[in-house]
Order: sequence, then structure tokens, then C-alpha cells
Amino acid sequence: MRILVIEDDRDVASFIRNGLAQAGCNVDHADNGKDGLFLATTEAYDALVVDRMLPGVDGLTLIRTLRASKNTTPVLILSALGEVDDRVKGLKAGGDDYLVKPFAFSELLARLEALERRTKSGSDAPPTVLRAADLEMDLLRREVRRNGEAIDLQPREFQLLEFLLRHAGQVVTRTMLLEGVWDYHFDPQTNVIDVHISRLRSKIDRGFERPLLHTVRGVGYRLDG
Amino acid sequence: MRLRTLLHTSVLQLTLVYVALFGVSVLALFYLIYWSTLGYLERQTNETIEVEIRGLLEQYERRGASGLADVIAERVRRDDENRSVYLLADAIGRPLAGNLTYLPPDLLTGQWLDFVKPDGGGASTPVRAGLIRVGPGLRLLVGRDIRELAQIRQLFARASIYGLTLTMALAIAGGVLMAFSARRRLADLNKTTRQIIAGDLSRRAPLRGSGDEHDELAGNINAMLDQIQRLLEGMRHVGDSVAHDLRGPLTRLRNRLETLAAADQPRREDLLECVEQVQHVLDTFNALLRIARVESGAHRSAFAALDLERIVRDVCELYQAAADERQIELVCSVRAPVEVFGDRELLAQALTNLLDNAVKYTPTGGRIVVTLERTEDVARIRVADSGPGVPAADRDRVLQRFTRLDQARSQPGNGLGLALVNAVTTQHHGRLSLADNSPGLAVTIEIPALVRSTPQRVLAAPLTRVASGAPRP
Repeated sequence: MRILVIEDDRDVASFIRNGLAQAGCNVDHADNGKDGLFLATTEAYDALVVDRMLPGVDGLTLIRTLRASKNTTPVLILSALGEVDDRVKGLKAGGDDYLVKPFAFSELLARLEALERRTKSGSDAPPTVLRAADLEMDLLRREVRRNGEAIDLQPREFQLLEFLLRHAGQVVTRTMLLEGVWDYHFDPQTNVIDVHISRLRSKIDRGFERPLLHTVRGVGYRLDG
Repeated sequence: MRLRTLLHTSVLQLTLVYVALFGVSVLALFYLIYWSTLGYLERQTNETIEVEIRGLLEQYERRGASGLADVIAERVRRDDENRSVYLLADAIGRPLAGNLTYLPPDLLTGQWLDFVKPDGGGASTPVRAGLIRVGPGLRLLVGRDIRELAQIRQLFARASIYGLTLTMALAIAGGVLMAFSARRRLADLNKTTRQIIAGDLSRRAPLRGSGDEHDELAGNINAMLDQIQRLLEGMRHVGDSVAHDLRGPLTRLRNRLETLAAADQPRREDLLECVEQVQHVLDTFNALLRIARVESGAHRSAFAALDLERIVRDVCELYQAAADERQIELVCSVRAPVEVFGDRELLAQALTNLLDNAVKYTPTGGRIVVTLERTEDVARIRVADSGPGVPAADRDRVLQRFTRLDQARSQPGNGLGLALVNAVTTQHHGRLSLADNSPGLAVTIEIPALVRSTPQRVLAAPLTRVASGAPRP
């Protein structure tokens, strides 16, 4: 993945750069809005990480300018402003996701991968069947099968599995799940999501030799692709 | 210095105006009294003189000059009290008849003249007289003794001066007193204010109990000070708590990191634990910031009409799995939509916090009942568990930030959950109450419901009320 990080805080920037480089990404960095906008318009990136408050051109203006010039590179906004209205403003400006500082690097990486995946698959017609290994979800008939065996899921479990399948092979965090499945944007309490996951796990993994749904310690979960 | 400040007070300036107005009114009053008493006497005297002159003129017309002289002589003789003055004089002023020996100078016909008639032996009499021309070369003066009138007038003048002086003295004294009194009361307030500025926030403006506007002002200032003091104490409490609650984890983290730094090969698990501890501190900070932000009212602009039923169902559903796992029965009793004006995220998070507590503290095999109901114009969310409950004495305290009861110390948490619920409820103009669920705790959030007069809801409201017979605080 080729990623542009536009962030004026040197520590945060190097934290992101190092982490992304370790994860095998190719990272460019701009420490102000003007340079960032120049790089974003002249080079091709898989995703942008944009701090909201930047010297020169501020983050939201930068995103609006990009979108106005038909640049659709997915943008992850970083901000110290974490309230719902701030998030809404960021997404309205053309951001694709919003992450509040301070954040765990794993959360950032998970969200970036999700963004990249979303844009890559977005070009085709929406799939009616989602697959991961021998697990299969038919979105039209609302059916789930593993190895041909029907699995009975509650509506919320179905949504949860659908979200995991759409991000198969990636790490999804608890916050991403609360946002994506329940549509609430606060930090989930202690282990609420975990219990839902373990319940889902018992339905899709029990009795099968190879577990599909893994817990990534301190980060979230991953459904094997 | 004192006088100058006094002159600058608006109260004194007003007093001076008041004194001036008072003086003018008193003068007008005196004039009116003068006109209707002394003036009356004076007019009567004048009339008497006029009548007499007319009578004498008649005599002259009938009997000529000598006849008039006789009549005058006769009247002088008959006037025992010597109250009347007559003089008939020729063209050069020589007296022809009457009891006046000379014609007073500067006397013009047709005007009243007051003069003093010497009575001989040093005594004299004030006289008012009128003079007319009665024929060729003849002038007639008729006058009356006005000694009494003069005396009364003198008395009146003296009384007026005394009265006016007294009135003015009283008015000025009253005004000065008023000015000083107002100044003193303001000075009391100013003194209190200065003491507070100097750092003594426990000072309060003195009240007199008179209920006047000064007392009202002092009362309001005191109420404001109480509020400020409460807020300051709240802040200090938060500051102390932040220091206490964050110093612990930060100290542990520091110790752990020091140990790790000394080790040759730090274990990955140890490092991850460090990250978790930092996360805990960050979570606490975020929760604090969120409460502060909610309390500041910043969310109000995003308030919209929303259905509580949806939120209650969502959150119940979110916690169903966790409750099942601990073999706690979670009952979600929602019968009808209830619309309120608020923030979906905040209300959901408040309810999440309540359910989180309920699931955390309810023992295995226990029961949690979440009820949403509407009575009249109040939406009521009630979360009742069968856990250990909260002693009545602690119920106010647990709404404060960082309050963790002893039994809660073994559980994860930061003591901010109910504080956020409280802040969210307050922002929705609602009321949060804790009650005994015997056994357990019943937390009730009451916020104003939006009134919709559709028939369905009119029917729905009483139904839910009948259906939910649970005891309420």
C-alpha cells in the first residue's frame, strides 16, 4: 500500500510512518497542508492519513479541495476532536473514516486496510455472496453455510458476520464493530462486543477443525480470508 | 475625601433633586394658604374701603362738598375704635375734613396704599387706604386700620420661614441619611466582594431581612457565590480525584517500564500490559473530557427528535449476550415508541453505562429489568438489577466523578460511568434517581417526552402505565 501521511506533529508522524513501514507500506509524509495537497494531487496513493489541524491549509479544506478536483483517494481523518458532530463534519467534508487521537496504531492500520479494501471492491457490482474459506454468506437469501452445512444466526449475528466477511483477512477493532454493526460511535464498554463475538464463534467454528474467527490480542478480531 | 465620594454618589444627587422638589411644593402650599386666609382678610378690608368710598361719593353728589365734610365728621365721631381713617383734601392737599392731618405723599388715585399713621405719643398705626378724586380740586382718602392684618401677616411670615427651614433641614438630613445608608449597604457589598477577590470565598453579603431591593441584590449575589463555590469545590474534587486516580496507574506503569528498561530482553507480554495500562489512563481521560464536554452543553446544537424505544432495544440487545453469558436474565420491557428531544449517541452511551453496571454487579442467576415507559409528558427509562444495590447514604455520592464504592473496587472501571449518565440526563433537562430495588439498585432516568397528539399514542400512554406496575422511587 502506498500511503501519504499529512501530519504536523513530528512524534505522531514518525509513529505512524514507522508503524506503516513495518506493516509493509510505502509511506510519504508532509508536515503541512500545502505540501500535503501538492503531493496528494500529483502522486497516486492508496490512502491518505490527514490530520485535521494543519498549518497552511487545514485538513478539512484539503479534503474538500481534493474531492472538488475529482480525487477519490480514501481519506482517514485524524483528530483530537472526538465528538459526534466533529466526526460528522469530517465525513461531510469528504473523509472516509475518522480516528480520534490518541489512537492505537493497530486501530489505524485496521481502518486503513478497510478503507483500501472498500475502494478496491467498490468498482464491481455489490456482491450477493460473501465467502471466507469454506464459509459462505448469501446476502439475498439471508443464509449462512459452512462446508455446505446451514448455520442458524440471529439478525445481529448475521450483521456481525457480514461485517467480518467484508473485512475478511483484516483486523477489525471493537470500535469498528460498534460503529459498523450497531452504528454507535462511543468506546464500547469492557467486554460487550467480545461476548457477541464468542457467541458467533461458537456457531461458525464449533465442530470444525480449522477456526476462522481469531482474537487479535489488545486490538480486535480477524476472520481468516 | 469622604465628602467628595459622598457628592459623587447618585443617591445624594437624587436626594438633592428631591429636596428641591420638596421645597418648591412647600412654597406653593404656603402661598395657597396665604392666598386663602390673609389674602381673604386683605380683600375684605379693600372691599370695606371701596364700599365706604362709594357711600361717601353718593353723599357728595347729593349734598356737595360741605355735606360730604359733615358726613365725614359724623363718621369720625362715631368711630369709637378709631379703626377708620378719613381725609377730604383740596387741590394742594390741605385737609378740609377727617381724622388725618396730612395727605400721604406719593399717593395716586385708584391704587391701594399702605402707610403708617402717627397717632401721637410715639405710637403709630398701619393703615390701608384708597384715594379718589371727588370733584374739582377735591380728593377723598378713605382708609382702615390694618394692624391686625399686619400682625397676622408677620406671624405667617415667621411661621413660613420656620416651617420652610425645618422642612428643608429635615429633607436634607433625610437625604444625607439615605445617601449614607445606601452607601453603607453598597460599601458592605463592596467589602464582601473585595474579601472574595482577595481569596476568601466563604464570605457572604450581609442580609437585613427587610426584603427590599438591596436585600434582593445581596441575596442574589450570595446565591451566585454559593454556585461558584459549589463549582469550585466540584473542580477541586475532580482535580484531586484525577491526581489520585491517575497517579496510581501512572506510577505502576513507570515502575514496570523501569523494570523492563533494566531487563536485557523485555517480554512482549509485559510491554503489551504497559500499553493496556496507558490505555486505561487514556480511557479515563477521555471519559472525563466527555463528561466535561457534555456538561458544557456543546451537544445541544445536535439535539433532534428521536425515538427512545430504538435506543433502549439496541442497548438491551448489545448487552443480551453479556447477560446470557453470566446467566443473568435481562428483560427489556418496551411497549411503545417514546419520542424525546435529545442526542442519540449520548442517550445510548448513558444507557450503556447503566447496563454495564447492572451486568457487572448482578450476581449469576440474577435479573435485570429495563423498562421504557411514558407517563403524561415524561419519558422514563428504568434499569433495575438484583445486585447488591447502593446504600441510601451513598446514592448522591456515586453520581460524582471517581466515586467507587468499596464493593466496586474489585471490578474494572473508572468511577465515571454514573457521572456521565448524570451529565447526560441533566443536559436533557431530566432527572436521575437511584432507588432500592430490594434487592438491588433501580436507576431511573426521566426526561421530558415530546408531545404528539396522534390517537395511537394517546391510547398507548395509559396502557404502558397500567402494564408497568413496578414500584418506583
